[in-house]
Amino acid sequence: MAALRTYIIVRTLMTIPIVFTLLTIVFIILRVMPGDPITAMVGMKAPPEYIERLKEEAGLNKPYHVQYMDYILGIIRGDFGRSLIWGKRPVLAEIFDHLPATIELTIFGFIVSIIIGLITGTVAGVKCYTKVDTTLRLYSIIAYALFIPWLGMMFQLIFGVYLKILPIGGRIDPGLTVGWNTVTGLYVLDGIITGRYDIVLNALQHLILPSLTLGIVLSGAYTRLVRANMIDVLSQDFIRAARARGLSELKVLRHALKNAFIPILTMMGLQFAILLTGAVLTETTFSWPGMGTFLLERIKYVDYTTIQGTIVFFAIFVSVVNLVVDILYALIDPRIRY
Amino acid sequence: MAINMKALFIAAVVLIALGVVFFAVSKPPVTSPTPTTTPPTTTPAVSQIVIGVTDKVTDLDPSNAYDFFTWEVLNNVMEGLMRYKPGTTELMYGIAESHEVQEGGKVYVFHLKKDLKFADGTPCTAQDVVRSIKRVMEIQGDPSWLVTEFVEDVVAVDDYTVKFVLKKPVSYFLALLATPPYFPVHPDYKPDEIDSDQTAGGVGPYKIVKWVRDQELVLEANPYYHGEKPKIERVIIRFFKDATTLRLALERGEVDIAWRTLNPADIESLKGNPDLQVIEVPGAAIRYIIINVKMPGTDNKLVRQALAAAIDRADICKRVYLDTWEPLYSLIPKGMWSHKDVFLEKYGEGSNVELAKSLLQQAGYSEDNPLEVELWYTPTHYGDTEKDLAAVLKEQWEATGMIKVTIKSAEWTQYLEFTRKGALQLSLYGWYPDYIDPDDYTTPFLHSAANAWTGSGYANPEVDSLLDEAAVKETIEERTPYYEQVQEILAEEVPITPLIQGKLFVAAKKNVGGIVLDPTMLFRYWLLYWKE
Repeated sequence: MAALRTYIIVRTLMTIPIVFTLLTIVFIILRVMPGDPITAMVGMKAPPEYIERLKEEAGLNKPYHVQYMDYILGIIRGDFGRSLIWGKRPVLAEIFDHLPATIELTIFGFIVSIIIGLITGTVAGVKCYTKVDTTLRLYSIIAYALFIPWLGMMFQLIFGVYLKILPIGGRIDPGLTVGWNTVTGLYVLDGIITGRYDIVLNALQHLILPSLTLGIVLSGAYTRLVRANMIDVLSQDFIRAARARGLSELKVLRHALKNAFIPILTMMGLQFAILLTGAVLTETTFSWPGMGTFLLERIKYVDYTTIQGTIVFFAIFVSVVNLVVDILYALIDPRIRY
Repeated sequence: MAINMKALFIAAVVLIALGVVFFAVSKPPVTSPTPTTTPPTTTPAVSQIVIGVTDKVTDLDPSNAYDFFTWEVLNNVMEGLMRYKPGTTELMYGIAESHEVQEGGKVYVFHLKKDLKFADGTPCTAQDVVRSIKRVMEIQGDPSWLVTEFVEDVVAVDDYTVKFVLKKPVSYFLALLATPPYFPVHPDYKPDEIDSDQTAGGVGPYKIVKWVRDQELVLEANPYYHGEKPKIERVIIRFFKDATTLRLALERGEVDIAWRTLNPADIESLKGNPDLQVIEVPGAAIRYIIINVKMPGTDNKLVRQALAAAIDRADICKRVYLDTWEPLYSLIPKGMWSHKDVFLEKYGEGSNVELAKSLLQQAGYSEDNPLEVELWYTPTHYGDTEKDLAAVLKEQWEATGMIKVTIKSAEWTQYLEFTRKGALQLSLYGWYPDYIDPDDYTTPFLHSAANAWTGSGYANPEVDSLLDEAAVKETIEERTPYYEQVQEILAEEVPITPLIQGKLFVAAKKNVGGIVLDPTMLFRYWLLYWKE
């Protein structure tokens, strides 16, 4: 366990230069991009002296190296700064306003992708080189190549407009949360905590189409990976031995899956970052009020501090998830040591 | 093994399918014309209308809010001394009951209605009006110029009397008073800083009961409102990220009204839906081309006139906007007093190629020596159609055979910077009014002391003097001839070419009544009702 602790500390320290590099790149890109947040916000009617005053107040007239140092020092102090537009709210408050929606969508999208990926991958692996396998491999390629907004719109049309059985956008029915205060911001969880099962049900209904969209697109990669690993594991000696000893196929499969799972776990960690990216497109399609749509909007307004803060936050978030995945390795496979 | 795997797969598929069906069938009925669709256990059933928009509420503080949709919301939860009569551009009293103009238009004294209250029952007096306006002056947010440019001082004479001392007489001061920076706000608003998320509101027909940024805004009737009580108890604004989802939500019944802004193609399609109504009225938004009068080529008046003559506005409306905009032949929009179709009178309807050619020849150009111009647009700020607008203009101008157009684009912020520096020769722009008055459609574009932002370099002392005169005359009858003359000069000198005027579209369920739109572009939620 001491080795694991050292590993966690080293991995955590390694996150710092990653975030620092990312922050520097984002800082440079934003300054190289044409325009500035003040001009974007006040529009064409504002007099030049007013724009200058706002730039001065926001510190945008300082030399770039001074702005950079100010920002880095702020981050070290845990101060992500304030947005440069609309009321100049603290960036962290903006992030925490939008993060729960993305987390909720990501979790459900993740679950859907894992379920579909594991089932299709296992079936394809077991039935390798048959028609079923070919069909599922074809599915994985199509799913991987699907464009999220297109798939989302198809779902909206079929389930929302033609069949009218599922909502096509938003997190919850309008007006349902009046007089109700969230606890974590995750509606399903909060509904359970506060005993508002109408909210739980309604939130789940709203989650179906976006998480299916996200989950299906991301399941393609799992299908292929699970299939390849299953084929590999199923041909190994210990599986033959297990079968020779008369173990039921289900038990054999369980052993095989457990062994095939380690590379899949790595994939899960990597997919999490892709999930967040996918969530941006899914959020836009389903009017989901999460981080993706928020970040896109702020990029449009060149809101330096918010963009920088959000990206740093994401970087830390993804690093932590990957770290957790690495730790899970050790727990799943005792052979792995750090 | 084969059987087991098959069973496992089938079981999983069935489970997922069952899950979907379970949630689907357990979905409460879709929003119906009658009250609340899904009454939450903790709130009573109330009459409710859901409005979907792709806009956003930027800032609930009138000292800093400066966009149309936020102003619309503020107009529903606050009220100023003056307001517009719904369906018209006529001004009427809001929280004032009378007023006097003194000292030749330099002093305005307003008498407030008695027993005005904020939505929580706190009394609203003249002191609150003064506090709110001074707060705007002190905070100096984006729209503060609507106060600071005109008001020298504002004082509460007593609990029910507010006195404004202006820097100089301003004939459209009453129109300014109908803008949010002049609205009284609840004492809960921070006194000396922007309070963007404050929901205490003002003395309007509705109060804010819930606001989840970018998700929903829930309004309920203000029990203390001094005017007629809203017919709908609760109005919910749902924020959508794109117009297509908004359209689908309307078709599915998730929203009762789809408001700003549907795509032109969606509007056309929704018109054919028998369960919906699509309402269309002229809007106050205009589009135009700023022409740089200092740049070689367009510094020649004949060239500018030729460019104006070759434009076919109806063709633009049809091809680019599917007739969701209409031709505009002056900077002052149709429907507003003093509007004159000056470009129509001078250059005719459609593309007047012969006139354009003749003017270009007089300017020294020919088919062998064509005029070369740069037309700039910004790709996203005015929507996806901007590129098409530039392409159609290029086609129309090049149809003369004597003009060669190069199309260029820049992102919005860069576009603004280029414009201010006077670096663009021809640039496409749009205008939403701050106050509904011809002054707001002329002075910012043509007065040399106010048009630096256009980068056109246009200055004409005669126009300056006409606009200054028009601003101090008191009646519409007195002011009209001045604006008519300014429009005549505009058509002659063409520092700006008007192109098109927007229409407003609302798509709603058939049984939604009380949708009243007008060029102020403000949707009054308190007039809405469900038809029997």
